[in-house]
Amino acid sequence: MTNTGLPLRLEAISKHYGKFLALAPTNLDVAAGEFLTLLGPSGSGKTTLLNLIAGYVEPTAGTVAIGSRDVTGLPARLRNIGMVFQNYALFPHMTVGQNIAYGLSVRGVSKAESHRRVAEVLALMQLEEYADRAIQKMSGGQQQRVALARALIIEPDVLLMDEPLSALDKQLRRNVQLELRRLHHKHGRTTIYVTHDQEEALVLSDRIAVMNDGRIHQLGSVDDIYDRPANAFVAGFIGESNLFAATVTSVSDGTAIVDVEAFRRTIRAPAAPGVEPGRPARLLLRPEHLLFNHADDGVPAEIVETVYLGELSQYGIVLENGQSLIARQITDRSIQAGTRVTLSWKPDHARVVAESSTTGGLSNA
Amino acid sequence: MSKLPIWLRMISNAAASLVLGFLVLPILAVVPASFNKASFIALPPRNYSGVWYERFFEDVEWQTSLYNSLQVAVIATAIAVVLGTLAAIGLRRLSGRWRASITALFLAPMIVPVVVTAVALYRSALDVGLSGTIFGMSLGHMILALPFVVINVGIALRGVDDNWLKAASGLGGGSWTVFRTITLPNIVPGIVGGAIFSFITSFDEVVVAVFLAGYSNKTLPVKIWESIRLEFTPVIAVAATMMIVLAIVLFAVAQFASRSQGNSAR
Repeated sequence: MTNTGLPLRLEAISKHYGKFLALAPTNLDVAAGEFLTLLGPSGSGKTTLLNLIAGYVEPTAGTVAIGSRDVTGLPARLRNIGMVFQNYALFPHMTVGQNIAYGLSVRGVSKAESHRRVAEVLALMQLEEYADRAIQKMSGGQQQRVALARALIIEPDVLLMDEPLSALDKQLRRNVQLELRRLHHKHGRTTIYVTHDQEEALVLSDRIAVMNDGRIHQLGSVDDIYDRPANAFVAGFIGESNLFAATVTSVSDGTAIVDVEAFRRTIRAPAAPGVEPGRPARLLLRPEHLLFNHADDGVPAEIVETVYLGELSQYGIVLENGQSLIARQITDRSIQAGTRVTLSWKPDHARVVAESSTTGGLSNA
Repeated sequence: MSKLPIWLRMISNAAASLVLGFLVLPILAVVPASFNKASFIALPPRNYSGVWYERFFEDVEWQTSLYNSLQVAVIATAIAVVLGTLAAIGLRRLSGRWRASITALFLAPMIVPVVVTAVALYRSALDVGLSGTIFGMSLGHMILALPFVVINVGIALRGVDDNWLKAASGLGGGSWTVFRTITLPNIVPGIVGGAIFSFITSFDEVVVAVFLAGYSNKTLPVKIWESIRLEFTPVIAVAATMMIVLAIVLFAVAQFASRSQGNSAR
């Protein structure tokens, strides 16, 4: 297990099923050894994109290249990819060892060599004592590791994972996430990981591609996506957010001036690409960025609910126009339901984003 | 069921036993009849003897017919298993409307009256020179047996996850390798079940065989059918007993196969 996988390049790849657009033309470059997550709700096109990379689905247009090799017309078995399926797709009539060795045996690798490599992968996965165990006798977490071992043993150029943790319970999922990260550091293979769980994406990924409606809405690092969402969809999908309808009056040097009706005032804030006068936009305020009673000209509001989370508390708030929002603060016992506060924020912490329906399907870094 | 009052349960059990008795006992009656010493079929036998078994195995005509039946059943089963398995796999790949209509086509021999099939086969067999041949009868029985293979293998295929096949091909397996190493091991119980049903279907089939059998190529059921009109000796009961025993053995195997299929699906 020395090489680290190859870079992956998708150019203008798209997929239609009849008239249904599963994936709009998409460009994507993944560096060798990178861990990239495709994150989005179901029906967002992330699984279609994964299947296009794997070769299980033929693209309507566009090309897939792994390293310097154009694999667009090749079937999955000739692409040298490793895939971990949502339900693991382990072969029920084979033992753990036979499952893992499958990719080697169909390639005609010798018994001795195969034995050695299976032992190596079993050790990596901490499954040494289970080689002769029946698949049905393995727990969900163990099966997940067997599936990963089976994909890794063929030394794939690209490792693909389709919601591999969705079958595990929440506690276990947390542990396996950290395990996957540790393993990725060890095997270092180019990995494309599909999930709808943003926490999973944040824990695991070097970069995240946020998808919806068959398009990548934003591709960037965890920080980029959280702090500088490209549009209202990304802002709403990643992390918790308060979004307010905003009318853009002007944009210059990446700063927009917007009228926010819910606050009955004009606000100046950093603007995402695509924000321009006349286009629908929203003002984003993260719950942890809202301040209480900090400025004389704050927005008046009333606390309606407090949820004590330990050091932090979460506050449910209603504005005078009836719109509700949430804030998260260091716990302050003097603030209770019914308390009247004024809201403010640092100018840099607000962000104006365009409505996602008007942003088009580009936004590839 | 267990919530019924005890008297009701007893009545229902008694009724079920009666129905079963009426269905099964007349069939099983041929067994003691075959051990009768007298030269006519009588129940209950006065004296028991194996003399008619000797007669059955000494008589060339009976022997030939048994051998013919086995031959026809083996050939019919072999062809039905191969074609039926291929058909079931092909049907699974079709979608919606096509699958429904083509499945109906494959199952038609089970629904169309056998005598209609027999007449049609008789006519066609004459045209191509298969009338009166073992192979002709085998093909006729194969058509009747095909639905059992298509159904049994089709059910077994439902237990094969598409993702297993995707995984296997992604790991480098070509389509034949994937079939041999993944699909086949998981549908063996269905194939065995289909084969047994095919074998029994052919082995006890009389209508198509009567139409297609030549003078020298009678199968066991045809021979029984002819004998019963000429003579009424316990040899017929012996032949019938042989068929019952074979059917019971094969159904037991089928039961065993389907049970192990149920286990592997878990």
